[in-house]
Amino acid sequence: MKKLSVSLLAMTVAGSAYAADMGAVDEPIKLAINEWTGQHVTTHVAGEMLKAAGYNVEYVTAGMMNQFQALADGDIDATLEIWSSNVSDEYAKKVSEGTVVEIGDLGLDAKEGIAYPAHVADLCPGLPAWEALKDCAQVFATAETLPGGRLVDYPADWGTPGADRMTGLELPFKAVPAGSEGALIAELRASTERKSPLLITFWQPHWAMSAYDVQFVELPAGEEACFNDPAWGPNPNAVNDCDFSPSRIFKASWSGMEDKWPAAYEILTNYQLAVEDQQPMMGAIDVDGGKVEEVVGAWMAENEGKWRPVVDAATQ
Amino acid sequence: MTAITDIPAQARLTIGAKAALITVVVGALCLALEGIAPWLVKWPTAWELPATQWVGAFLDWFLNGIKPAMRLFSDLMTYPMDAANFVLANTPWPILIGLVTALGWYLGGLPMAALGFFGLSFVLASGYWTESMNTLALVAVSVPVALVVGGGIGILANEIPRVKNFVQAVLDVMQTVPTFAYLTPLLLLFGFGPVVGLIASAIYAAPPMARNVMLGLERVEPEIKEAAIMSGGTRFQQLFQVEIPAAATQIMVGVNQCLMAALSMVIIAAVIGGFNDIGWEVLLTMRKAQFGESLMAGLVIVVFAVVIDRMSGMLATERKRYDQRVVWAVLGFTVLFTAAFWLWLPNPSELTLLDPLAGAIDSGLTAFTQANGPWLDALKNNSLFYVLLPLRIGLDQAVLPFTWGFQWTPGMSYGLFAAAAVIAALMAWRGHLTGGLVVLILIGMLETGIANLPWPFVLTGAAALSYVAGGWRLAALSVGLLCTILVSGLWERALLSLYLSGAAVFSCAVVGGLIGLASAVWEPVWKIVRPICDMLQTIPLFVFLIPVLMVFQIGEFSAFLAICAYAIVPMIRYTRHGLVNTPAEMMEAAISSGATEWQIMRDVRAPYAAPTILLGLNQTILYAFAMLVIAALIGTTGLGQSIYLALGQADVGLGISAGAAMAILALIADRMVQGFAEERRKALGL
Repeated sequence: MKKLSVSLLAMTVAGSAYAADMGAVDEPIKLAINEWTGQHVTTHVAGEMLKAAGYNVEYVTAGMMNQFQALADGDIDATLEIWSSNVSDEYAKKVSEGTVVEIGDLGLDAKEGIAYPAHVADLCPGLPAWEALKDCAQVFATAETLPGGRLVDYPADWGTPGADRMTGLELPFKAVPAGSEGALIAELRASTERKSPLLITFWQPHWAMSAYDVQFVELPAGEEACFNDPAWGPNPNAVNDCDFSPSRIFKASWSGMEDKWPAAYEILTNYQLAVEDQQPMMGAIDVDGGKVEEVVGAWMAENEGKWRPVVDAATQ
Repeated sequence: MTAITDIPAQARLTIGAKAALITVVVGALCLALEGIAPWLVKWPTAWELPATQWVGAFLDWFLNGIKPAMRLFSDLMTYPMDAANFVLANTPWPILIGLVTALGWYLGGLPMAALGFFGLSFVLASGYWTESMNTLALVAVSVPVALVVGGGIGILANEIPRVKNFVQAVLDVMQTVPTFAYLTPLLLLFGFGPVVGLIASAIYAAPPMARNVMLGLERVEPEIKEAAIMSGGTRFQQLFQVEIPAAATQIMVGVNQCLMAALSMVIIAAVIGGFNDIGWEVLLTMRKAQFGESLMAGLVIVVFAVVIDRMSGMLATERKRYDQRVVWAVLGFTVLFTAAFWLWLPNPSELTLLDPLAGAIDSGLTAFTQANGPWLDALKNNSLFYVLLPLRIGLDQAVLPFTWGFQWTPGMSYGLFAAAAVIAALMAWRGHLTGGLVVLILIGMLETGIANLPWPFVLTGAAALSYVAGGWRLAALSVGLLCTILVSGLWERALLSLYLSGAAVFSCAVVGGLIGLASAVWEPVWKIVRPICDMLQTIPLFVFLIPVLMVFQIGEFSAFLAICAYAIVPMIRYTRHGLVNTPAEMMEAAISSGATEWQIMRDVRAPYAAPTILLGLNQTILYAFAMLVIAALIGTTGLGQSIYLALGQADVGLGISAGAAMAILALIADRMVQGFAEERRKALGL
C-alpha cells in the first residue's frame, strides 16, 4: 500500500525527490481548538495549509488543560499553541510515555510580566519602573490585602509567577489568584472603565493588550542566574527578583502522526507564525467581530509567500 | 458555678444541653492549651497520610483495568450520539419549531404551544441554532441513559429492601461530588469527546429519577398490590403491568427532574470540549468577559430548560385532551412553509438579531459600574471588614488599626469571653441553659474564626450536633467522615470552604426566608420573584460571574455573592411553599378563635411550615456547596480551587479526594438538617 501511494505520488508530482509521503489522505486530520482566539487563528492557518496540501482537516474543540489525553489516544492529532508557562503536568507525563511528541516552536514571541492599564501610571507616578511600586502599594490596597497592595495573579492552576516576583523583589503586595482568564479580563475592563488602580500578571500576544492599553512594568531582565542564585539582582537574599523567564510557545502532536500523514507532520513541524501576523488577526476577530474562517482566509490570500514554501517543501 | 447549683442543673440536663456543654468544655480546653500544644489547633503535617497519592495510585490501576470495556461502551454510544446529531442538525429549523409547537398544543393547549414557538424563535434569533442542536443531541442521548440507569436503581431498591440504605448513600454521592472532580477519570476511561459529557450528565441526572421511582413504587396502594398478587401475575408482571403504571405520575416527576439536571450539566460537559455546543459558546464569551453575549448564550439554555420543564411537567399532571386536528394543521403548515420558502430560509448561524441587545446589556453594565463605584466599594469593604473577615480569621486577627480603627489585644479576648460567659449564665439562670451554651460557643467561634478552629473542637461540635439531630449512628458517621478529611491533608481547605458556604447559607436563610415570607403573605411579590428564581436555577452559573466580578473584583466577597445568588432560591421556594400550604382546617380553627393575621402566621403557619422550611435550608446547603466549585473561577481558596488544580493537572487522586471532602461536608450537613426536620415532623404529628 505504501509503495503504491509513493508511486502514485511520484507520478502526479514530477521531480519530487525529497517530498514526504502524503499518507492517509482520505482520513481527516483533527486539530485542537482551545479556548482563546490567538489559538484559533494559529490553528486555522495551519489547517488551511494542510488543506492546500490536499488533506482533510477537522477542527475539534478541546479544553486546553484536558486535551493531552485526547492527543495521546489519537482522538486529536495535533495541538498548535502550547504555552510553556501554562502547561499541565499531564503533558510531560504523556511525552515521557511516548504517546505525545513535541514538534517544534511556533515562533510566536511571547512575553509575560507584571502589567497595568495605562491610566494607572497617573495614580502611581514613576511607572513603568518597578521601584515605583515600593512606594505606592497603598494605592493598590484593597480590603483583602491591607496593608499591602493587591496584585491580581494568574489562576492558581497556571502557577504563581506574580506572587514569586513580589516575594523576590520584596514588594509590599499580596497576590490574589484570579481563578480564570475571564476573571483577569473582567478586572482589566472594570479598572479601565472606572479608572481604578490595578496591578495584574498578564501576557502578550493577547487582544486585551491593545483593547485596554496594557503596559508592562519594567523589571530586571529575567536571566537564568536570577532563578538559581539569590545573590543576583536587586535583592541579594532571594531568587525571582527579576522579570519572567521568556516563555516558549510550541506545538505537539500524537505520536502516530508521523507515520500516518508524513507530509502533514512535516508541514506542522515547520509551521511558524509571528506575533505581527497573529495579533492583527486577533484584533479583527475580537475587536471588529470578524469570523475566524474569513479573517484567516483573507490573510492566507494576501500572505501566500509566508506559508506556501512550507507546504511546497513537504509535498513537492 | 458551685457544686450545689450544679446538682439540680445536672438532673434536668437535656440531650442538647449535654452536647453543648461537652463542646464548650472541649473548646475551652483547646483555647487554654493552645500555647503548650499547638497540634491541638493545627493538625500537624507529619500526621497526614498521603491519601491523595494513594487514591490516585489506586484509581490509576483500577481505571486502566476497566478502560477497555469502557472504551467499547464509549464507541457504542457514539452511534446514537451521531444519529441524534445528524437528525437534529439536518432538520430544517421551521420543521423543528413546528414540531415543538404542535407538541406544546398536544400537551397543554395554547399556552404551551405559544411557549414552544416563542422559545425556539428566541433560540433561532440568537444565532446559536447549530450549537443548540448539538446541545440537544447530547441531552437527547444522555437523558434516556439516565432514565434507564435511574429507573433500574429505583426498581432494584424497591425489590431488594436490604440495599435501600446503600442505594440512598450512592445517590447522595452521585449528587454531591462535584462533576468537575470526576471529569479527569472520565476522560481517561471514555476517551476524549462528547461521550464524556454525556456520561457526566447522566451520572448527575440519574439520581432524581431513581429517587422518584423509589418514592412512586413505595406509595402504590397496598390494595392495588394485593389485587395484582391475587390475579396470579408473576413478580415481573406485577411490577411492570400494575405497580409501575400506578406510580406513573410520580415517575413522570422524576423524568422532569432528570431532564432539568441533564440540561444544567451542559456547561460542565463543554469544559472538556470535543463538541461545538452552546456551553462552549458560553465559555468562550466568558473568557472575553463579554457579559451581554454570554448572557444571551446562557439564556438559550434557560429557554430550553423552561420549555422542557413546563412540557414534561404537563406529563406529570392529569391533563385534558386538546383537539388533535390543530396538531395536524400546525405540522401541515410547517411542511408547506418549509417547502415554499426553502430557497429563502436564512442560515440560522448567520442570524444576529440579538446582537444589539447583547451590546446594550454590556454597555449598561459598564455604565452601572462607573456610576456606582464608590458606594459599591464601600459595601464590599464594610462587609469584608465587619462580617466576612472576622468570620474567617476571627476577631483577634481581623481587628486591625486600618480595618476597625484599633488593634485587638488579648485583653479584649478575655473581656469578650467574660461577657459571653455572663450572657450564658444569665440565660441558664432564666432556664435556657442550651441557648446560653450555644451563645457561648458562637462567640468563641467568632473570636477564633472558622478557618482557625481547633480540630478537636470541630469534631466534638459536629458529633454533638449529629447526636442531637440523629443519635449515635449519625454522630459516629460524622466523626468518621471528618477524620478522613483530617488525615488526608485537606482539612484547612475544607474549613475555608465551610466558612464561605456557611456564611452564604446563613445569609440565604435570613434573606431568602424573609423573601419567602413576603411572597407567601403578598401574592404580587411572588409574581415577580418566581421568574427570577426560575432563571437563577437554570442559567449557567458562569454567566453571573462576570457582572459580579466587574462590580466587586476578584475575591471572597464576589464569590460569596455568586454563591448566594444560586443558593437562595430553594430557601425562598420552600419557605413560601410551607407557609402557603397550611391545612384549611387549622386555618379555620385559628380564624374562628379570633386570631389576627400575624398571630396566625406566628403561632399556626410558621410552626406547621417548619419541617418544609428546614428542607429548604437543607437544599440551600447542598446548592451552596455545589456553587463553591464554580466560585473558584473567581479565585477562592477552598476545596473548589483544589478541584480546579486537579482538573488542570489531570491529578486524579487530588480531584477525587477534594471532591469527596466536599461531598462529606455536604452529606453531614444534609443528614443533620434532615434529622432536625424529622424531629419537628414527629413533634407536629405528621
